[in-house]
Amino acid sequence: MSTNESTRGSVSEFIRRPYVRHIFIIWVFVTIAIGFFAPVQSRLMGNSASLEMDVVKETMTIFTFWSAPVAGLVISIALYSLFGWRSKGDTAPTEDGSPMRSNSKVVVGWLVGSSVLCVMLLVWGLAAMSESHNESDPAKIHTVDVVGNQWVWNFDYTEDGNFSSPVLYLPVDEPVMFNITSVDVIHSFWIVEMGVKMDANPHETTHMRVTPTKLGVFNVRCAELCGLNHSAMFTKVHVVSKSDYLSWLDSMKGSVQ
Amino acid sequence: MRKLNAFTGVVFGLLLGFTVNYLSRKYLAQGEDFPFYGDQVIILTMIGWALGFMIGVGAFVGPYRWLMNRDLSYEDQMWLAGKDAGISRYFRFTTDHKVVGIQYLVMTMVLLGVGGTLAMMVRTQLAMPNNHFINHSMYNSFVGLHGIIMIIATIIMVTGPFGNFILPIMIGARDMAFPRLNALSFWLIFAAVPILLAAPFLGGISTGWTAYAPLSTQAPPGMDAYILAIIIFAVSSAVAGANITTTAVTLRARGMTWDRTPIFVYGAVASVGVAIPAFPMFMASQIFSGLDRATGSSFYDATNGGSGWLYANLFWLMGHPEVYVILLPALVALLEIVPVFSRSPLFSFNAAVAGIVGITGLSVLVWAHHMYASGWAPNLNAPFMLTTEIISIPTGLLFLVFIGTIWRGKIWVRLPMIAVYAVLWNFLIGGITGIYLSDVPADMALHGSMYVTAHFHYTLMGAGLTGMIGATAYWFPKMTGRMLNEKIATPAFLIMQVGFQVTFMGMFLVGLEGQPRRVAIYDILFANGNKISTIGAYTIFFGALIMLVTIIDSWRHGEIAPANPWGSQTLEWKVTNPIPLENFLVPPVVTGDPYQFGKPDVYDLGSAKEKVEV
Repeated sequence: MSTNESTRGSVSEFIRRPYVRHIFIIWVFVTIAIGFFAPVQSRLMGNSASLEMDVVKETMTIFTFWSAPVAGLVISIALYSLFGWRSKGDTAPTEDGSPMRSNSKVVVGWLVGSSVLCVMLLVWGLAAMSESHNESDPAKIHTVDVVGNQWVWNFDYTEDGNFSSPVLYLPVDEPVMFNITSVDVIHSFWIVEMGVKMDANPHETTHMRVTPTKLGVFNVRCAELCGLNHSAMFTKVHVVSKSDYLSWLDSMKGSVQ
Repeated sequence: MRKLNAFTGVVFGLLLGFTVNYLSRKYLAQGEDFPFYGDQVIILTMIGWALGFMIGVGAFVGPYRWLMNRDLSYEDQMWLAGKDAGISRYFRFTTDHKVVGIQYLVMTMVLLGVGGTLAMMVRTQLAMPNNHFINHSMYNSFVGLHGIIMIIATIIMVTGPFGNFILPIMIGARDMAFPRLNALSFWLIFAAVPILLAAPFLGGISTGWTAYAPLSTQAPPGMDAYILAIIIFAVSSAVAGANITTTAVTLRARGMTWDRTPIFVYGAVASVGVAIPAFPMFMASQIFSGLDRATGSSFYDATNGGSGWLYANLFWLMGHPEVYVILLPALVALLEIVPVFSRSPLFSFNAAVAGIVGITGLSVLVWAHHMYASGWAPNLNAPFMLTTEIISIPTGLLFLVFIGTIWRGKIWVRLPMIAVYAVLWNFLIGGITGIYLSDVPADMALHGSMYVTAHFHYTLMGAGLTGMIGATAYWFPKMTGRMLNEKIATPAFLIMQVGFQVTFMGMFLVGLEGQPRRVAIYDILFANGNKISTIGAYTIFFGALIMLVTIIDSWRHGEIAPANPWGSQTLEWKVTNPIPLENFLVPPVVTGDPYQFGKPDVYDLGSAKEKVEV
């Protein structure tokens, strides 16, 4: 079925080989399967509650799409080999396999391909990081000081009020800057559904910016083992409308802390 | 010297330990103004044990004799090498690399067993959201100890048994370059293990295996045990690293040029080559920790000029290269297996070397990807993301070598080869999830969650440990003279693999849902994922037990193995079993590389004009 013009090793001869076709079919199936799986991780992370979490979910989905063909290649060749190239029985094969030692086109192609993929991942990641540094209106950023304490979180509203609160209230659609510290060991301030996290270090202040985009109550968990009751170190963040936020501030300003 | 062995080691160790304990309790200052008394007593006692043990096991006989100008005679050296000695040579300071290799294999299996049991305790507690199987203090301790014991086990698991037993024969040498240092590296670990295992009895450790400061400073006395065990272990690895490197560089047989050297040697040298600069960082981090705890220094105390970030940097400067120290030997062992079981040469030997060198070279440049969320240096997040993602390129090269070797091979499906396929799958998942984690914004969501735990178990256990099991199945006939009973070992392996997927897919799930790491109780949200993980863990345990029993049974009663049951071409298969003390009666001369497989077929020769029989 090969023509007289095609010579061994040419691309057209290569793709006509039966095993190449079989592997290609498996590769298509596997790549599509992984592609279908790609949004699953994102869905398992729950509803996004911030701009930052939107970026996280997008990133994980798209990185999965991009890795799918490569993973598919490895899986399809490995799978095919178990059927198409298998030596029958438990005893040693009576004949050897191919004597091929290398193929410079393949090695170079693979290197170029993996480098291109690497650059794509990097550009995406760097773009996502610089996005989060865009300040549209500095005056509108709220500030909340977060203090980790074995084993509770405390929030100092020094700007929008002058009080301390064990509960976190934030206005929706407005950026917040958290100044985070600890009074004892390293904790990690994690707002789960907003996809942001920053360690709380003793005697240092770290910073984390987030813009909540959904109304609701979300989970704040400590993400760095901090001793005996690390498992119980959590609280909630209430994201409310601007007016509800202002009313909450009013109700808290009465208490002096 | 001939009276010294492990038993006298233990006796001396206990004697010196108790003596130091008594003296330190009597004479060290204690009271309100001297709050470090407890830690000082414990640390000194343990040093007493370790020193006493090493003296009692005969580790210092060589230097002592040299000092006394009564250097070891030829008979002494032969006795030390365990010549004609029977099973007793495994229980003393024996220099024969084959003995040390077996000692390391048994030690690895013991550590894996202890670490695995701790894992079962952890998973049992996590079977239900608000479980009371063990209290939180015990739980935190068990999680941390599980981690550090497994880390030590996986660091030594390929280089120890096979780097010692197989590598010298594989290069045509009679022994390692430094046989006494070889025994020393093993017995140092033997001395360190009881220290580490004493931790639970000293109040445990309240940190994870990473022993972060300043939590480590306030941790119970078990932390001192961790600290000292690591310091001793670092010395052991430095010694072993010097040995393996010198052996590979200087003792290759005549004719074994670097392009005829098996890829396993490259991987072993590269992995200890990166361990040599990296593990001293770990040692330093623990020395500072010990000083903070026992003398009130403030290396890590931010209120007194120190910084927890100093600890984190020192730790991860070790911690990242260390994962490649764990992974690479397992991968290169599989790279020896895959040509033999595909009856095809290794695909692009040079790409394999480039991959190994690329991975180890880059591994020292990526450490702060563990610290994206620490706030230590936000401006360095992007550069570390760059270096971390670049490491995927040499890693990908190794994948290429695997599938290139398998390509058009004659696949012989036996347990060592099944391990190759399992590792390819597990490393794909581990690697791709690593790519998500290397992305800074994604890591802000995933860091410190069970997602990370699942990722590193897929790489270290799914690829690393699974590779080691493949290596064990492959070299079992050479190391024990018997065949491993694959009729039972293979199903056991598959049970472990299935259990493994279930366990850690469950962990990816709860990590995505928002469960933090190292928690003893968790939100009801995570109940299903944890149940799945626990069921998977019990499955692994069940498979591992069967595997262990099969290994022991085959070792004792297995079918006697031929010298080269796999038809491999590396030099270790050319020696008969039982292997002579100095391996080769005549030093071999090498004339080619060990991958001379392959029978050309019509795709290799001839034109496509011929009708092809598929």
